[in-house]
Amino acid sequence: MAAEMVAAVDVGMSLEAIKASQMGMKALGAGVAVGLTGIGTGVAEMGIGSAAVGAVAENKDMFGLALLFTVIPETIVIFGLVVGLLLLFL
Amino acid sequence: MLKPRQMSHLFITGSKNQMEPVIQELYRQNVFHIEEFVEQTMEGYEGVKIGTPLPGASEAASKLIRIRSIENTFGVKLEDVVPQKRVPVQQLRETIDTKLSAIVSEVEQIQAKKSKCEAAVKDLEQKINELKPFAAIPLPLEMYSGYQNIAVFTGRISKSPDLIVPNETYFSHAKEGNFIAVFAPAEHSGKVQLSLLQANFVAVPVPKGEGLPQDLLNLYTEQIAAHKKEVALIQEHLEAMKKEQIEFLAACEELMSADVDKAEAPLRFALTNEAFLAEGWVPTDRVDVLSDALVKVTGGKILVTVLPIDFEHDSVPVEYNNPSFVKPMQVLIDVFNRPRYTEIDPTLMVSIVFPIFFGLILGDVGYGFILLAMAFGLRKFFKGEEGQQLLAVLRNASISSIFFGLLYSEFLGFAIPGLKPVLFSRHLMAETAHGEAGGHGPMIPELMVMSIWIGILHITLGRILGMINHARQDHGEHRIKAVLANFGWLAVMWGILIAIWSIAALPLMPNLTGLPAVVSIVNLGGVVGAVLIVLGVLFIARDSVLEVVEIPTIISHVLSYARIVAVGLSSVAIAMVVNFIAIGMFIEPQLKNFSIFGIFIIIAGLVIFLLGHALNTALGILGGGLHSIRLHYVEFFTKFYKGGGKKYMPFGMKQRFTEN
Repeated sequence: MAAEMVAAVDVGMSLEAIKASQMGMKALGAGVAVGLTGIGTGVAEMGIGSAAVGAVAENKDMFGLALLFTVIPETIVIFGLVVGLLLLFL
Repeated sequence: MLKPRQMSHLFITGSKNQMEPVIQELYRQNVFHIEEFVEQTMEGYEGVKIGTPLPGASEAASKLIRIRSIENTFGVKLEDVVPQKRVPVQQLRETIDTKLSAIVSEVEQIQAKKSKCEAAVKDLEQKINELKPFAAIPLPLEMYSGYQNIAVFTGRISKSPDLIVPNETYFSHAKEGNFIAVFAPAEHSGKVQLSLLQANFVAVPVPKGEGLPQDLLNLYTEQIAAHKKEVALIQEHLEAMKKEQIEFLAACEELMSADVDKAEAPLRFALTNEAFLAEGWVPTDRVDVLSDALVKVTGGKILVTVLPIDFEHDSVPVEYNNPSFVKPMQVLIDVFNRPRYTEIDPTLMVSIVFPIFFGLILGDVGYGFILLAMAFGLRKFFKGEEGQQLLAVLRNASISSIFFGLLYSEFLGFAIPGLKPVLFSRHLMAETAHGEAGGHGPMIPELMVMSIWIGILHITLGRILGMINHARQDHGEHRIKAVLANFGWLAVMWGILIAIWSIAALPLMPNLTGLPAVVSIVNLGGVVGAVLIVLGVLFIARDSVLEVVEIPTIISHVLSYARIVAVGLSSVAIAMVVNFIAIGMFIEPQLKNFSIFGIFIIIAGLVIFLLGHALNTALGILGGGLHSIRLHYVEFFTKFYKGGGKKYMPFGMKQRFTEN
C-alpha cells in the first residue's frame, strides 16, 4: 500500500485511479484468457467437428461418440473461463 | 434397476407343419427376439438350411408396397398418424382387397391428371421462354418465314451491326441481351451474316406458331394459370382423400406389414427336412407364459428348451429395466450407446444427476418456468416416442432449474426480493442490475470448490462402478488387474487431493495443513498423499503401462466440472446485461422523465428485454443440457461404461390401428 501511495504521488495519479487501472488490467487479462482459449477450442473442434459430421453421415449410430469427441476440447475454454472468473473475483 | 432386464436363451423345435401356428403365437406374444440363423458348413450342421417364406408372402409384400406408395403420394408416415379407433382384423381382411384397389386406381388417376397438368405447365413455360425475345418486335410469327428472295436472321447480338446492303432491321435493347431480326435480299445473305458475326451474333430459331408474339405470350400465361389452378384443385382433392382414407391405409399397412413379418419369419429360422429350429431371447419372467402358449397352440407337439447363456459368444439383446420416472433418460443413453447385458445400466444415475447438473447450471426460476411451459407446450408437435422422452427430460430438468433458482435466488437474472440465496450467490454485482442495493455479490471461490467437489464425487462413483463392472465382466488374472487399476485411478486422485489439502487451506475443503510436519512443507498428509499417488500409479501401470500418460486427465476431468459454475455464471451475466440495457438504460430513465417520445424508447427497451431473454433461454438449454450430458458422457462414462449392447427387438408388433 505504501509503495502504491509513493507511486501515486510520483506520477500524479490518485489511489482510485490506480485501483481502477489495476481492475482494468485484471479485466483485460480475463478477456484474453477467455478469448484465446475460445480460439483454441474453436481450432480444435474445427477438425473434429467436420470429421464427426462425416462419420455421422455414414453411420447414424456414431452420433453419441461423435458428439463426445467434438465436445472434448471444450474443456479448454472452460479453463479459460475459470481463470477469467478467478482473476475478476478472487 | 441398475441391470438390464434378465433374458433367457430359448430354443424352439417342432415339426414343420407346426411352424405356422408357432409363428402366429410368437408374433402375438411379442416377446421373442429372434436370433437369426446363419447357414454354416461346420460339422453338425449338415442338412440344416434357412427356411423359405410362408405362402402369401409376396402377395402381402406387393400390397404393402402399393399402400406405402399411396401414403407417399399423400405425404404421410405411419408414425405421424394418430389412431382414432382400432379396426378388427377380420373386418379389415374382408374389405382390404376391394377398397384398396379402388383407392389405388383413384389415386393413380388423380396422379396421372396431376402429372399431365404439370407437364403441360412445363411445356408452356418452355414456349414462353422461346417467345420472349420476339415479343419486343411487332411482327406476327408467320412473317419470319415463307420468302423466296429474302433471307431472315434472328438472334441475340451485342451491338447494332453495320449492314452495307439494303435491309430491314428490328433491334431491341434488353437487360438480358439485345435482340435483332434482319430481313435482307437472299443474294446478300453472306455479307449480312459476316457483319452480324462481327457483332457477336448468336442465332435464335423462330418459334412455331402464328400471330403476334405478345398475344401468344398472354395466351400461354393464361393457360399456365388455368393448369396451376387445376393442380391446386387436384391437390385439394388429394388432401380430402387423405383425411378420409388415412386411417384405413394406416390399418392396412399395419396388417400387411404384420403379414409380411410373419410370412418371412422362416427366413430367420433353421429348417431341416422335417423340422424347424428357432433360437432367440425372451425376458426370463415371460418364458413360462410363452412356452405354455406355444404348447397350447401346437397341442403339445413342440419342444421349448432354455439354453444356458454363454457370455463369451452370445450377444444377449438388452432391454432397459427401469422405473417409469427413469425411462425418459433412456433416449440419452441410447444416443451414447445401449449398455451391454453384463454391464451396469447407468440410466438411473444419469436421470437423477442430469437434472441436478442442469439446475446447478441454469438455476433460475424464470427460465425454469419458461422451459417447463415449453416442455408441455411442445408435446403436441413431437409425436414420436423419442421426442416425448426428450420433452420429459426437459420437464425434469426445468423443475430442477426452478428448485435451484430458488436456492440461488434468481429470477431472469434478478435477485428474488426478500429471498437470500441458500446456495452460494451467483449475482455478479453487489447490487441488483438496475442500481438498487440488495444483491448479494458472487461467491466465486465457494462455487468453484462446490463444483470441484461434485466432480470428485461423481468421478469416484464412476470409478467404483468401473471396479464392479470389471469384476463382473472380466475373467482370470486380467480381472484382478483391471479392478486394481480402477482403484489405482481413485488412489491417485485422492492422493493428489490430500497432498493439496496438506499444503494449502481451501474453503469448503478439509484443512490438513495443521498435521505434524515431516520435511519442510511436507507434513503427514503430504506423505499419505504421495504414498497413495505412487501406489495408484503402480496399479495403473500393472494393468497397462501406456495408461500412465493419461494420469494428467485426472486433474483435467475434475476441473472440467468447473463448467457447472462457469457456464452458469455466463448465463447469469447475459441475463444481467440484458436487464441492465433494457431496464437500466432504456426504460427507467424514460419513466423518470416521461414524454411521448419516451414511449417508443420504452417499447424498444421491452423488445430488447424479450429478445435478450429469449436468446439466453436458448443458450440456457444448450449450455445446461449439452454440458450436463457431456459431463456424463466424457467424464463419468469413460470411467466404467462401454455400451454397445444389442437392442432387444421382439418379434411382433404393438397394434395401434388394428385389433384381433
